[in-house]
Amino acid sequence: MSAGSSSAFAARGLAPYLFLAPAALFALVFLVGPLGFALWVSTTDWNGIGAARPVGWGNYRYLFEQDPFFMRSLLNTFLFAAGSLIVGVPLALGIAVLIARSRLQSMWRMLFWLPMITNIVAIAYIWRFLLNDTNGLLNRALDLLGLPGPDWLTGINWAMPSLIMVSAWMTLGHNVLLFLAGLNEIDHSYHEAAELDGAGPLRLFWHVTLPLLRPTLLFVTVTSLITALSSFALMLVMTEGGPARATTVAGLYLYDMAFTDLRLGRASAAAFVLAAIILAFSLAQFRLLRRGGVERH
Amino acid sequence: MIQTLRTLRFVLATCLTLAGAVAPASAASPPTTLRVAAHYTAKQAAPLLACFKRYEAAHPGLRIDYQQVSYRDYLQTVLISRVGRSPADIYNLYSIWAPQLIGVGALDRPPPSLERLVRAAYTPATVQAATIGGRLWGMPSAVSVYQLVYNRRMLAAAGYRAPPRTWAELATIGAATVRRNRQGNVVRGGYAFGTTTANIAHTFYAQMYAAGVPPFTADGRGTNLRSPAAARIVREGAMLFRRGITSHAMTVGNFAGRAAAMTVLANWQKSALAEAFGDRFSSEVGVAPIPTDGPGGTMIYSFFWGVERASPSRPQAWALIRWLNEARGRDGLTCTGRMLGGMGDLTGNRADLAAMRGQLADPFSRGFVAALEAPGARPQANVWHAEEIDRLLRYYIELAWYGRMSPPAALATADREIRAILAEQPR
Repeated sequence: MSAGSSSAFAARGLAPYLFLAPAALFALVFLVGPLGFALWVSTTDWNGIGAARPVGWGNYRYLFEQDPFFMRSLLNTFLFAAGSLIVGVPLALGIAVLIARSRLQSMWRMLFWLPMITNIVAIAYIWRFLLNDTNGLLNRALDLLGLPGPDWLTGINWAMPSLIMVSAWMTLGHNVLLFLAGLNEIDHSYHEAAELDGAGPLRLFWHVTLPLLRPTLLFVTVTSLITALSSFALMLVMTEGGPARATTVAGLYLYDMAFTDLRLGRASAAAFVLAAIILAFSLAQFRLLRRGGVERH
Repeated sequence: MIQTLRTLRFVLATCLTLAGAVAPASAASPPTTLRVAAHYTAKQAAPLLACFKRYEAAHPGLRIDYQQVSYRDYLQTVLISRVGRSPADIYNLYSIWAPQLIGVGALDRPPPSLERLVRAAYTPATVQAATIGGRLWGMPSAVSVYQLVYNRRMLAAAGYRAPPRTWAELATIGAATVRRNRQGNVVRGGYAFGTTTANIAHTFYAQMYAAGVPPFTADGRGTNLRSPAAARIVREGAMLFRRGITSHAMTVGNFAGRAAAMTVLANWQKSALAEAFGDRFSSEVGVAPIPTDGPGGTMIYSFFWGVERASPSRPQAWALIRWLNEARGRDGLTCTGRMLGGMGDLTGNRADLAAMRGQLADPFSRGFVAALEAPGARPQANVWHAEEIDRLLRYYIELAWYGRMSPPAALATADREIRAILAEQPR
């Protein structure tokens, strides 16, 4: 090998790394670095102000063995996520199916997209006013109809369902759009063939549309689940985690732990536990997605 | 002519020498900047900002930057600024934040002369609020005190001319003033507790002091939550919910909206109430001691000016704090006093209180000033992780209110968990 070709090889070998360097540096500074720092903090008793003492796995043990509220906050998180999926996904699918047949599809799409471009804090405040037990519009309307209005946000059994309802409304536009995209991709010939065989609308939906929509359905489920598991702002504004911690989800709990109680070590440990749970769910669902051929998305 | 030239040369030389003497000096000592962090908005802090301008004019080479930090994010901001090695020089601290800041050496001790001034010029309760571990850590500023606030018109319409003095009277008058819709939902509370942590925990502390039992032990390492007085307070509260005199949706704000007849709140809400009630504020809003079957009393909570220990300008920072709280304008008020008075806040500075007499002559303020000066008014205990404890206490009180736990059981569990937090405090 001549000296000239060797230097050309060296130059070719270095070039990709040079091109990758900015992105790698960005990832190192803003992703790997903070993650590593948070992992280290989770093994200390750091309060954010003073010196940090190493405590090993002490913070993780505390969360599972002594903390009276961590497991409860995880349970609330799962309840919220499950509720958001159960209510939000079928609702979005139903609306998408209805809109797909509408001539005013673009108008409906725009209307359902509006909550997505509205600030979450603004949405939370508006719903807080609407759901106010005493003067809220909803309870006033129910009163006019002679129906008893529940304690939407202050009832210990009602607060979580109310938040699930708001969350489902908030994510509706996003999910409807995804479902519409999925529905528009289904070849009409499948429907025509089924109709020729005498399938009614319900059988058509159940046996043709739904199986062909499976990849989209799984994608929407995964993204909705991840969003719901990491929710926090809605609870912070609408209920502050109350009443009696009925709506304190893990995200809100670790926020308070970190920035109100100045227990950054424990909060970092809680954040890693939550991240591990979300990762586990995501991996499981990605495995399902692969089977469903969702790579198209 | 020669003489004139000589004189000119001398004048020029003198000027050059003076300029030379001044120029290197100013180049050697760059202007000092003091950063003051407080939760007041620019509008609220306007009198203070005007004072900063005056102070800067009188102290060439000194700049004062005002940094508004939201109350909710205050500790978080202190934390981040210290991590980033750019903390403020002067803090306006809620006293319960101080133990943790002191625990990590974030606060500077005031000079002895300033300490003497504070002890001489401020009410004992406010001095106590700025005292942690037996040492004074700053100069008291805003003071808030809890009292029963009631709607005179609603009480009169129900046949009551005087506010309730005991738990039994509170329940009776509450039942007489409550309004429900056709479905039985409370649309006007006979009483409103409020839904925030501060509403619930602070009202409970105030009721404890009124019952003559402090919520925490004197050493700050235990609680009196297992006392009969504590159980009684939670039981009476739960009874108000059970009897439909109040609802969990009732907030302190409902009082301003004429949707609650009575509530317990702090004096700093005066401006909001005055705005809500308009011309009828003085005639409609009454202030009374917190109903109790005990000797009576309440809780006061305070802020104080403190100095960051890592500040390179600590002497200048303490000098500014002293000036803000000692120098008086033509109105007889200090800069801090003028700002607090403008917001309807109270102060522990006796001279400011005296100068505010006219301003505090309305019935609303009189009720709070009387409470502040009464022997039963106790400062909120500056215990370790106070906000965490407040949230914990709120949870257990709510469980009792919702009937999920009996009051003694809820308080016993709260006591056990709070003691575990208090035990973490370094000795």
